[in-house]
Amino acid sequence: MRTPLRPLARILQARQEGLNPDSIEKENLRIRHEALREKARARAQFRLVVLCASFVMAFGAIGARMGLMAATEPVEPRSRAPGAEIIAQRADITDRNGRVLATNMTTHALYAHPRVMVDPKGSAEKLAAIFPDLDAKALERRFTDGRSFVWIRKILSPEQMQRVHEIGDPGLLFGPREKRLYPNGSLAAHILGGTSFGAEGVHSAEVVGVAGIEKALDARLRDPAQGTKPVALSIDLSLQATVEEVLAAGMSMLNAKGAAAILMDVRTGEVLALASLPTFDPNNRPNPLVDKDAEPGDSPLFNRAVQGVYELGSTFKIFAAAQALELGLVKPDTMVDANAPMIWGKHKIKEFENKNYGPLLSVSDVIAKSSNVGTAHIALMIGPLRQQAFLKSLGFFEPTPLELIEAPGAKPLIPKKWPEIVTITTSYGHGLSASPMHLAAAYAAIANGGVMIKPTLLKREGPTTGVRVMSEKAARESVAMLRRVVTEGTASLGEVPGYEVAGKTGTADKPKKSGGYYKDKVINTFASVFPASNPQYVLIVTLDEPMDTALSETRRTAGWTAVPVAAEIIRRVAPLMGLRPKLEPVAPDAVTAASN
Amino acid sequence: MSFLEYRVKQAPTGIRKILYMNWPLVVLVTAVASVGFLMLYSIAGGNLDTWARPQMERFAVGMVLMFIVAMVPIWFWRSMAGVAYLVAFVLLLVVEFFGTVGMGAQRWIDLGFIRLQPSEMMKFTLVMVLAAYYDWLDPKRVSRPLYVLIPVLLIVVPTVLVLMQPNLGTSLMLILAGATVMFVAGVSLWYFGAVLALGVSAVIGVFTLRGTEWQFLHDYQYRRIDTFLDPSADPLGAGYNIIQAKIALGSGGWSGKGFMQGTQSRLNFLPEKHTDFIFTTLAEEFGFVGAFSLLGLYALILGFCLVAAWQNRDRFSSLLIIGVAANFFFYIAVNLSMVMGMAPVVGVPLPLLSYGGSAMMVLLVGFGLVQSAHVHRPR
Repeated sequence: MRTPLRPLARILQARQEGLNPDSIEKENLRIRHEALREKARARAQFRLVVLCASFVMAFGAIGARMGLMAATEPVEPRSRAPGAEIIAQRADITDRNGRVLATNMTTHALYAHPRVMVDPKGSAEKLAAIFPDLDAKALERRFTDGRSFVWIRKILSPEQMQRVHEIGDPGLLFGPREKRLYPNGSLAAHILGGTSFGAEGVHSAEVVGVAGIEKALDARLRDPAQGTKPVALSIDLSLQATVEEVLAAGMSMLNAKGAAAILMDVRTGEVLALASLPTFDPNNRPNPLVDKDAEPGDSPLFNRAVQGVYELGSTFKIFAAAQALELGLVKPDTMVDANAPMIWGKHKIKEFENKNYGPLLSVSDVIAKSSNVGTAHIALMIGPLRQQAFLKSLGFFEPTPLELIEAPGAKPLIPKKWPEIVTITTSYGHGLSASPMHLAAAYAAIANGGVMIKPTLLKREGPTTGVRVMSEKAARESVAMLRRVVTEGTASLGEVPGYEVAGKTGTADKPKKSGGYYKDKVINTFASVFPASNPQYVLIVTLDEPMDTALSETRRTAGWTAVPVAAEIIRRVAPLMGLRPKLEPVAPDAVTAASN
Repeated sequence: MSFLEYRVKQAPTGIRKILYMNWPLVVLVTAVASVGFLMLYSIAGGNLDTWARPQMERFAVGMVLMFIVAMVPIWFWRSMAGVAYLVAFVLLLVVEFFGTVGMGAQRWIDLGFIRLQPSEMMKFTLVMVLAAYYDWLDPKRVSRPLYVLIPVLLIVVPTVLVLMQPNLGTSLMLILAGATVMFVAGVSLWYFGAVLALGVSAVIGVFTLRGTEWQFLHDYQYRRIDTFLDPSADPLGAGYNIIQAKIALGSGGWSGKGFMQGTQSRLNFLPEKHTDFIFTTLAEEFGFVGAFSLLGLYALILGFCLVAAWQNRDRFSSLLIIGVAANFFFYIAVNLSMVMGMAPVVGVPLPLLSYGGSAMMVLLVGFGLVQSAHVHRPR
């Protein structure tokens, strides 16, 4: 409450006493002023205390920080400097059993800071002695023309690194980096593809996929969220090695210029082995062919099994038979016209070596003997539209959905128009070109009881579903027919005791670039399914320009080339896959006692 | 209270004034400066002439100045406050238009024998003028808007000039010291709250306008803030100072590597090792014990200042001492926070330790004012 400066009571009293009332006012003013000043002073002192407290707190915080920093070990900043953004780590790739197909190895790059070099001339000479492909003069020029940074080598071996180290020039520096390592060399090269360096820094370099699954799954392999969790492929390293070994041997024995093989699980679509020859070492990918005349298909980088689009010949005949069975047009023992040559308009359809299997053949025999005419009549029963629909459902009209960067580029070549003559030629595999992988997927559908499965290179967890393309009965009857091809037909060399191989041969003349077909250049294919009583695997073997010259005459049919190679592969891989051979019971007296 | 009310007869006169000085403060200041000489000697690799001797000479000159300033009655300094402020202000304007450019910043006037930094002068003349202002102002009116606006302008106008030089560190110091004087003078807390809110929005503004044509700060200043937020993002560039300083501090451990044994600073890993980052050398060579002792010395200096301010019943003297002490405190706090990675790198030296003539002399003159206020306090 505000006290009045001139309280009436005191003024009146003062007046009565004859005093000056102004002195009372003056006194009151002085008191009030004093009080005000005291208040201001108290406030100032309080603020000062607050200030003091905040100073103490700030010093306390600084002191605490000092203690904290003194107590912690200093950490050198990690050398993430200029290459900090480059994610060096790349996930491993393994086979289906976890065996490493691709991993990383720390190596070093060599670079120079010419400005701090002690002896550019001497160092250049010594470097040229270590790396014969370097030119001492050119190197010295680059060291002395004023630039501040020079890359010398992207990758050093430990020995080279030691020798460069021994030059002892402070301007020669090593930058650690990861290198992709394929410990199995050329094994599964076409699946893995390869890598090269993307963004390169002094402290690390980005490893990027350039082909195969390395490129197709590049994002996944470099995804930091996945950490270093490896990518497991469907490939089995042992099977892959066996297939490649047998195929290479077969290729050289048969003088083929190339070969391909695919081994696939018919129920899951998993590719267990995929080989293409000639091959390369993904650790040191060769450069693509620069020769203009060379066909891209001749490059070792070319994946014949996936990228190679060929007319697959008689292997297609089973599709016509299977569809006819499915549609109920025929039964395996239905007799069809097989009179050769068959005249269709101005076209003449002949059998191999102008044979004539006519006048009538059962459907089963058409397949076993590989009769073009018989197949043509079956195809005509089906008709162009239904034939197209069926081949489409088997995947022949689209690139395969395989996890390889090359797969989408391998588009099948499909006839633009589809008159009945195309129906006829397509039924025995001419006019429509597709890759061996297409063929493997389609055969898998027949083998697994009629379900079209998506082929994959990645290990599948759990069962898969697909689209049913034919009834189980039709599929089973088709496999039985394929079995007869081996037991009684064109693929008799394909018999592997105990494993009931079924399959279909195919020999297609290679098309000339100028049009027409070569007479003496063929692609041989054997598409096989085994074991026939309970089909589990499909094996496709394709040989490019083989010729069997073992006997007096030169043979170029699949039955003499691709079939024995496939049989050898099956003989070796079937036990590896744990298939039990179904052997005829052996008479007891045939047993030789091993012990006395 | 005006100086006419001083019971002047009770104030010491003549040479006896020296006895009435705040001697603990003199001793403490000399002690801290001596630590600085030791460090400069060590950083120069045991060479006295590189940095230590010039620093000692300046300190000696500064001490003489301090005694002279201390002998002059405080009421003279109060009457000079306005003039001193104006002189400093004019010099700031001069430097803005005719100054010598050093280290990318236009900061000093070359007078031939000494490089005058008006921004340094402004630090204490601003404190003086504010103290004189609040001494003159009726305490009742302290929080009235018009009477708040005047000191705010007194602070802000030179701050803007210093900021334009550009010198972020000193302008920050001007604002902080000025605000402290206003705070102790009793300005309503609402104003401080409002300024704080404005400050926060300004920070937001600074960052939202970054990269546009209207950005407030230099790119290097933005980078310093970035570096503060993540020093490891650019360990060889802008983050280098902080990381190397942290290593130096950490490698010092509890008792340090010993005098002249610091590798981090002596092997030239640290930039500005003899100026803004001198503390790292101390921490590396004398460890936590040495660093904490230095902090203790600083705290003692501040303590003696604040006690002197508390005891002094003259409002001008009290506010002046607080202003000088606040200035001193903020230099220490900002420098140490910066060195230890608690604050962005602003170019602020560590008072009495960092190599540099202007700052040292001005600081000693400031302590001279504190001494004068102490000697001539009303009794």
